[in-house]
Amino acid sequence: MEGLIATGLIGISLGSQYALLALGFTLIFGILGVVNFAHGGFYVMGGYVAYFCAAIIGLPYPLAVLVAVASTAALGWLFEVFILERVINDHQATLMVTMGFYLVIATAILVIFGAESPQFDFPLQGVWRAGAIYIPYANMVVLGVCLAAIVGVYWLVYRTNVGRSMRAMAEDRPVASALGMRTKMLFPFAFSLATGLAGLTGALVTPILALAPHVGDPVLAFSFLTVILGGLGSVSGATLAAFLVGLIEAYAAVYFGGSKGALILFVLVLVILVLRPQGLLGKEARRA
Amino acid sequence: MKISIGRLLCGTVLASAALIGGATACELKVGVPAVLSGPAAQWGIALRGAMEFAAKEAMEEKRIVINGVPCTVSVMPIDTKYTAEGAASAMNAFAAANIKVIVGPVGSPEVTGMKPVAKRNRMVAMVNSFAKNSIGPEWPTVFHIGPGPSGWAGPIIDEGLKRFKFKSVAIVAPNDQGGTDIASVNAQIFKAKGVAPTEEYYQRGTTNFAPIVTRMLAAKPDAIDLASSPAGDAGIIVKQLRQAGFNGPIFRLGGPGTEEIARVAGGYDVLKDFLWFEPIAMDDNTRALEKKYEKLMGAPRPENADFFRWVFAARMTLKAIQAAQSIDDAEKISAAMRKLPVEDEHIGKGHWIGQKFFGINQEMSYPFAIGIIEGGKQQPYKRADAVKEG
Repeated sequence: MEGLIATGLIGISLGSQYALLALGFTLIFGILGVVNFAHGGFYVMGGYVAYFCAAIIGLPYPLAVLVAVASTAALGWLFEVFILERVINDHQATLMVTMGFYLVIATAILVIFGAESPQFDFPLQGVWRAGAIYIPYANMVVLGVCLAAIVGVYWLVYRTNVGRSMRAMAEDRPVASALGMRTKMLFPFAFSLATGLAGLTGALVTPILALAPHVGDPVLAFSFLTVILGGLGSVSGATLAAFLVGLIEAYAAVYFGGSKGALILFVLVLVILVLRPQGLLGKEARRA
Repeated sequence: MKISIGRLLCGTVLASAALIGGATACELKVGVPAVLSGPAAQWGIALRGAMEFAAKEAMEEKRIVINGVPCTVSVMPIDTKYTAEGAASAMNAFAAANIKVIVGPVGSPEVTGMKPVAKRNRMVAMVNSFAKNSIGPEWPTVFHIGPGPSGWAGPIIDEGLKRFKFKSVAIVAPNDQGGTDIASVNAQIFKAKGVAPTEEYYQRGTTNFAPIVTRMLAAKPDAIDLASSPAGDAGIIVKQLRQAGFNGPIFRLGGPGTEEIARVAGGYDVLKDFLWFEPIAMDDNTRALEKKYEKLMGAPRPENADFFRWVFAARMTLKAIQAAQSIDDAEKISAAMRKLPVEDEHIGKGHWIGQKFFGINQEMSYPFAIGIIEGGKQQPYKRADAVKEG
């Protein structure tokens, strides 16, 4: 029984990390209609900015996290305004541009910081234990931030005028623009919000796991898997799918091993998508 | 259109000079298929650094002189991403550039991918990899830079048994050839030493090992072996093992990289009791090599100690080229290499082995060291003799 609970806690912990990433990814698709392949790059950048501020400059870690969020959000804003906006209606071009931008970020980090992992520790060490059940304090912090981010994003998208405008743009861009909604402000805002979330995740998660220029690759793959399962563009779907993926991954790996666990996860996702091609909470088609 | 006799003569002279220059210039290009990104990048950086150093050293000291003409030596590194397809693709690029001398790659998947291309294009290669088929009679121009765990895991386990009490071990590695070949050999050796092994594999690209750690610890092992898990992965596994409450000794019978593992895990205190294969025991000679590198390259040597093994391999390759008096005939260079004694001016002497394990006597063997951290404190390296066959 303790093993079941311990595995469940690991699954929730994994799910919270995936949820933070998937939120930004799905937000960009839901509002801009863009599959952002640069998302992993913003995650890595968030980690390195936080590392630079905390470990090299010596800023307190919470401040370093804020700097990471601000810098990834700012870069996201600039990227949307100067590059993405020019090709926003061409889906293939947005794929290529975001993929290229990911390579630019990863290579720049490689050149600046080198390929090897630096030492970047989460400031809060230690583990809470009750028999065989345990959870590192750092994971609790990530879970707390994740829940706050989910509530914050949900509130912003569904309870504010900015959110309503963004959803209107997502539904029908020409009509929303004709009604006076400011595309040139809202799209960069949505994009920078999402990249800021990716930066926040990188700043929080890389000291728990590892920081290296390549760590965005698997992150991108899992974000993509999660938002497809949840339904591209659905905030609540992405959240649900993230925790589902985390729990399936944990239980499958613990009870069937690392190799079979990965296989089980992907087969289950495949089965769900065969039964619900639009994802768990996704709509059948997207207009904008 | 009139062309003056003077211009014609001048052109002829220049063209002849260029042709003669081209015929006599000696330009050796060495292909380096190396993992330069991802969690195993530290190994590839050591390989690239060693080859670049050996190339510069050879030019400065005129170590390659073919038919009386000193050769320039240039290095062409390509990132293989620790994959078979990455290595095969790199080798095809080398073949397209007419490069016949290869130093690298590091890992088993890469070596598996590159060997057929090397054979097809008649290349001579000095490879690493701890795979069971790293070299063999079917690849007569492929040489091995040193023994894998079949050679050195035994003495390291013996050292561990002297220092710690353990009767069972959980071995963790990636689920591809780079992991399974090493983990299965380690399991056999642990078993032969009276330690009951279990093997656990994970998908390469895994970033969070908490579920795998939970599964491993469910078997209540006394010790853990990280086998050939890349340093980045190994660091996370160690961190999460300690978070899960595991206090036993941890082996890494799969190659060096302890500094990076310690950085990712959170320091030597987290490693606590840790034993690993270290390519060499540092002494005055190897420290002189470090200084020479720093002087020649203007920077400290690559951090991973595999650097020393690659310097040995690179210098042996260059010596074979010099002895063969050819920069592009793989068979001639291979024949010359087989006749050379296994010897390096800084690292020491060894001998050729491999007939028993691989069926071909093309593996260099020289003394190595056992790295030990006990109670979070690094102990002096323990020197071990070169592995012998028979």
